[in-house]
Amino acid sequence: MSIQDDETLRLYVEESLEHLADIENDLLAIEEAGADINEELVNKVFRAAHSIKGGAGFMGLNNIKELSHKMENVLGMVREREMVPNPEIVNILLLSSDTLRNLLNNVGTSNDMDIDEHVNALIALTTGSKPEQKTEVKQENIDLIFDNGRMVFTVSNSDLTNSRKKGQYIYLVEFDLVHDIDKKGLDTTELIKRLSESGTILATEADVQSVGTLADFSASSKLPFLMLFGTILEPEMINALFDVDEENIYLLDDSNGFKKLSDDTGSSAMPEETAPPEEKIVKEPEDEVIEDDMPSFTAPEVAVDPSASRDNDLSGQGNIKSSETSLRVNVSLLDSLMTLAGELVLGRNQLLQAIGQKDLRSIDGTGQRLDLITSEIQEAIMMTRMQPIGNVFNKFPRVVRDLARNLNKEVKLTIEGEGVELDKTILEAINDPLTHLVRNSVDHGLENPAERQRAGKEATGHVTLKAYHEAGQVNIEIRDDGKGINPDKLTKVALEKNLITEDQAISMSEKEKTNLIFLPGFSTADKVSDVSGRGVGMDVVKTNLDKLGGVVDIDSKIGTGTTIKIKLPLTLAIIPSQLISVCGERYAIPQVNLEELFRIPANQVKDRIEKVGDAEVVRLRGSLLPLIRLSDVIGLERTYLDGSEDCLKKDRRVNLVDRRAMRSPLKKGSKDSDDIIRMINNDSDGQNEEENSSGLNDRRKESTDRRYHAASAVNIVVVYTGALKYGLVVDELFDSEEIVVKPLGRHLKHCKAYAGATIMGDGRVALILDVAGISQMAKLTSMDGTERAVQVAKEQRMKSQKDIQSLLIFRNAEDEQFAVPLGLVERVEKIKRSDIENVGGKHVIQYRGASLPLFSIEDVANVKPLADKEDLLVIVFSIGGRDIGLLATPPLDATEEALTVDDMTLKQTGIMGSAIIGNQTTLMVNIFGIVEALNPDWYDKKETVMVSDDKAATVLYAEDSNFFRSQVMEYLKEDGYNVIEAEDGIIALDLIKKHLDDISLVITDIEMPNMDGFELTAKIRADEKLRHLPVIALTTMASDEDISRGGKVGIDDYQIKLDKEKLMKSVYQHLKKDS
Amino acid sequence: MASLADNKQAGNKTVELATFYVGDSLCGMDILKVQEINKLLDMTEVPLAPDYVKGILNLRGQIVTVIDLGSKLNLADTETGGETRNIIVNSNGEYIGLLVHKIGDVERTEEANIEPPPANIGGIQGRYFEGVFKKEKSLIGILNVEEILKDDGN
Repeated sequence: MSIQDDETLRLYVEESLEHLADIENDLLAIEEAGADINEELVNKVFRAAHSIKGGAGFMGLNNIKELSHKMENVLGMVREREMVPNPEIVNILLLSSDTLRNLLNNVGTSNDMDIDEHVNALIALTTGSKPEQKTEVKQENIDLIFDNGRMVFTVSNSDLTNSRKKGQYIYLVEFDLVHDIDKKGLDTTELIKRLSESGTILATEADVQSVGTLADFSASSKLPFLMLFGTILEPEMINALFDVDEENIYLLDDSNGFKKLSDDTGSSAMPEETAPPEEKIVKEPEDEVIEDDMPSFTAPEVAVDPSASRDNDLSGQGNIKSSETSLRVNVSLLDSLMTLAGELVLGRNQLLQAIGQKDLRSIDGTGQRLDLITSEIQEAIMMTRMQPIGNVFNKFPRVVRDLARNLNKEVKLTIEGEGVELDKTILEAINDPLTHLVRNSVDHGLENPAERQRAGKEATGHVTLKAYHEAGQVNIEIRDDGKGINPDKLTKVALEKNLITEDQAISMSEKEKTNLIFLPGFSTADKVSDVSGRGVGMDVVKTNLDKLGGVVDIDSKIGTGTTIKIKLPLTLAIIPSQLISVCGERYAIPQVNLEELFRIPANQVKDRIEKVGDAEVVRLRGSLLPLIRLSDVIGLERTYLDGSEDCLKKDRRVNLVDRRAMRSPLKKGSKDSDDIIRMINNDSDGQNEEENSSGLNDRRKESTDRRYHAASAVNIVVVYTGALKYGLVVDELFDSEEIVVKPLGRHLKHCKAYAGATIMGDGRVALILDVAGISQMAKLTSMDGTERAVQVAKEQRMKSQKDIQSLLIFRNAEDEQFAVPLGLVERVEKIKRSDIENVGGKHVIQYRGASLPLFSIEDVANVKPLADKEDLLVIVFSIGGRDIGLLATPPLDATEEALTVDDMTLKQTGIMGSAIIGNQTTLMVNIFGIVEALNPDWYDKKETVMVSDDKAATVLYAEDSNFFRSQVMEYLKEDGYNVIEAEDGIIALDLIKKHLDDISLVITDIEMPNMDGFELTAKIRADEKLRHLPVIALTTMASDEDISRGGKVGIDDYQIKLDKEKLMKSVYQHLKKDS
Repeated sequence: MASLADNKQAGNKTVELATFYVGDSLCGMDILKVQEINKLLDMTEVPLAPDYVKGILNLRGQIVTVIDLGSKLNLADTETGGETRNIIVNSNGEYIGLLVHKIGDVERTEEANIEPPPANIGGIQGRYFEGVFKKEKSLIGILNVEEILKDDGN
């Protein structure tokens, strides 16, 4: 017979493969139903096998015909209820259908393939209802003589050879019905059932009549039950199954002689089965299936060649479904495509005509129409490529079933969202990663039933496979309710393998630790014998998904399970992307990698971008984001947009900044920080040298500085890839656009920074950036980022707590800016000028049923008078238990500033000094001074605690902020105390020891560098000589937690910055008490 | 090139050579290798690409890698000017543009007239020439395009 023409054959193969795809799941359903046969289902499978057979006969594909015919026979028997579809039968059918698929995939050579085993197995099923019984129908028997003729087994030679062919070992096990079975609460039938799930029972012998003789032989009350058993389990592992004394297990060698297992466990009767166990780690689950401990009838070459399948696994190529060359498309979709094509032709004609007539308006209209049609066509064509993810998901019931049986686990697989559609290419490419993940979940995620019950879970483990749309992407979740991943264990392994450093490990969150599993070179396989550790190949999974533009994330809780989440783009060919430019050239960044865009205005650049070591970072909503300059990574000369000339210029300053210098802007008095600010600003005036030598304040005054020009703003594209998130600094941000991805030529394959190229609307080519590649080139790893982030965050915290002060900014005259510490302000009220009453020479306003005394700054200080406005503000302070209102004019602003207060130049009554806030000289209002000047009688008479007649008490004040130090010192001095100041805890302690005789009280800040207030207090309390000193903590933050901690170390009182009244009272009381 | 050598053995066959100038030297290649010759020079630079890759351009929807023959042959880089042309060749299913200084005539000759390259162009350059064709007044170096386009891994 001859093979018909190609077209017919191709159609036949496609159709048959489709049938086969259905068969698999139907068979599984049949198995589940068991004796309760669903005829319709069986019929369906029967018909499928029948059509395959029919076609094969027509095509002259004898092997396919033969195999499908035999399958049909078995199915016929099931249908007629002559046979109960037990797992074993279904397994044979499944394996046969696998082979059938294999034959169909290689249809040209199918007639030369060896299918005898399957055919025989199927025949065996039809001739005897159970495979065990087929031993009796075999003609050629051989006698196996055991233990000097004590026992003789008569088995069929073909059974033995069959078993051996399948790579099975043949064991003789001597069970003792009394000890091994009865006492363990088993019974023989149960034992046989259990064993037959893991291999073939070739013969059994339990000669009760010979008990007597045997009893003599073994001199104990034994009831031997001997069994000849074929299985692929290796000698080392076999006893897990039998659970008897190893003395009683014998291995049948090639010459049909028995060998005691305990004598020689290492020798292998099957040389081809010596593949070391770790080889199996990377095996495809499909092969696991084949490796099943069941009577397996698969082509042996597949079963014993793990290395081949390993290659398959690593290369990420699907081997279960060779990629299809044709596709089924819904006719209605085709019709709509046809219509659209018609419209396109129409549009073209119109356009040509309009162009011919130079009719601009018509061209416009037609252009829009074409635009519309094009997008519709694009969409429709994409639709034809869309396939339900069920095509991939559907193979998992089988994978999970086989694996679960193999591992003796009970697993229930739930599949959700099979209908979610994905581009064909993506679908094909996720096949392997998904298989790996599902397999991992079953193999390593789920515990075995006993373990589960011990942990209080139901014996059946659940694996859920779920697909759903979210934000224009497809999400796939693989969830198990198993034991979860221990992040600390992962960390330990990562440390051992030097994948991360000790410091990194400390600063990592649980989630980051869990994500370590994706690091290349990571494996948690504890020992070689561990068939596969979770983590093996996870990096391969990740790499494969990365290639697709997918993102994988893992979430795990010890004891409750693991969820792996994959985000995939719908399609690869056309992707939405963000266009940016660097150095005048446009680039595209795939939207999947894009998290957000942000722009730092020129005047905030210096505050928001910092440098740690040689890394630039930006503060973004409280967390730190590492920055990469795209121009640096791809080696372009930096340019900047000259605001005044509106053209690109080379950024000459590049040479002035040594990016590798280990200088930190966080160091005090930093000239370096200027460098960084300038660098960030992309500014390039020629006065760098000059500027470097001039101070920070000078520079701030240059308000026309080009760096504050809008064009100096920094544009950042926040991108992420896997666990990594960073900011890409670019020159300009453009629109987002759908781009068509085109591959780059072979000469450019080495450039890791690009994922491809695309053609822009103007016909020019733009490169598509590979976000992961760029991070690699910039040597950025997530761990690095984290480490830096932690470090910077720490220093930031230090910094903020020492210098940053919340201020309320307001005006009196319109062009004079004032500030008061926000902490002192009770409320701010809006009033009308007409509401102010002038009573008894004082200004008051009715406020909450009482008169609120009002004043303005010019009443006390020599400043410009209050602006003549109808709308005024009253800032209400509470001083000495009374409310007082300060008149002010808008705008009102609250800000957090790192202050350098100049307490000399502009100091006067009611003004404690000046500072630069928002480029403007701002007068700091001393509200106490004002109140004191206006209403001296409000205060209790000052009383100073004296140590002796002419000497006031001495107070040590430890505070790192100059502002507060000078402020509080002033208060203290005003009241007549002597003050010793210290900048941090260490200095304070030194000073205390030095001036021990003088000092009678310590006031300390809590957050200080080198030694904080808690430590200082603890040290004071620990020292015999210092112990008596009262300690007052003066801090911005006094949470209950802080207070209790302070109480523990021995702080006597907590005062909030900066309530002079209370502080002075406390000082007074403590000194008084002390003296 | 294998095909030329084969032809040589087969006897006298006419070959047509597309000639062009790389810097000052006149070079040629089998015209059957040439897909088209155009003036598309609006290239997009590819930072980090090998030196000889001038950039990439859009040829009717195909991305074409443009290679500067001058730079690749270790001659002077080709300066783009009015006569600069891109010779598009198809190599292994991929379009590649060869940037040349200017285009010459098409030369018709017989296989037998093509001589092996002189022994003194060795080294890198030697690899790229597969023969020399003597005209009355000038010599045409015949380029081995496949060798030139071989990705040398950098």
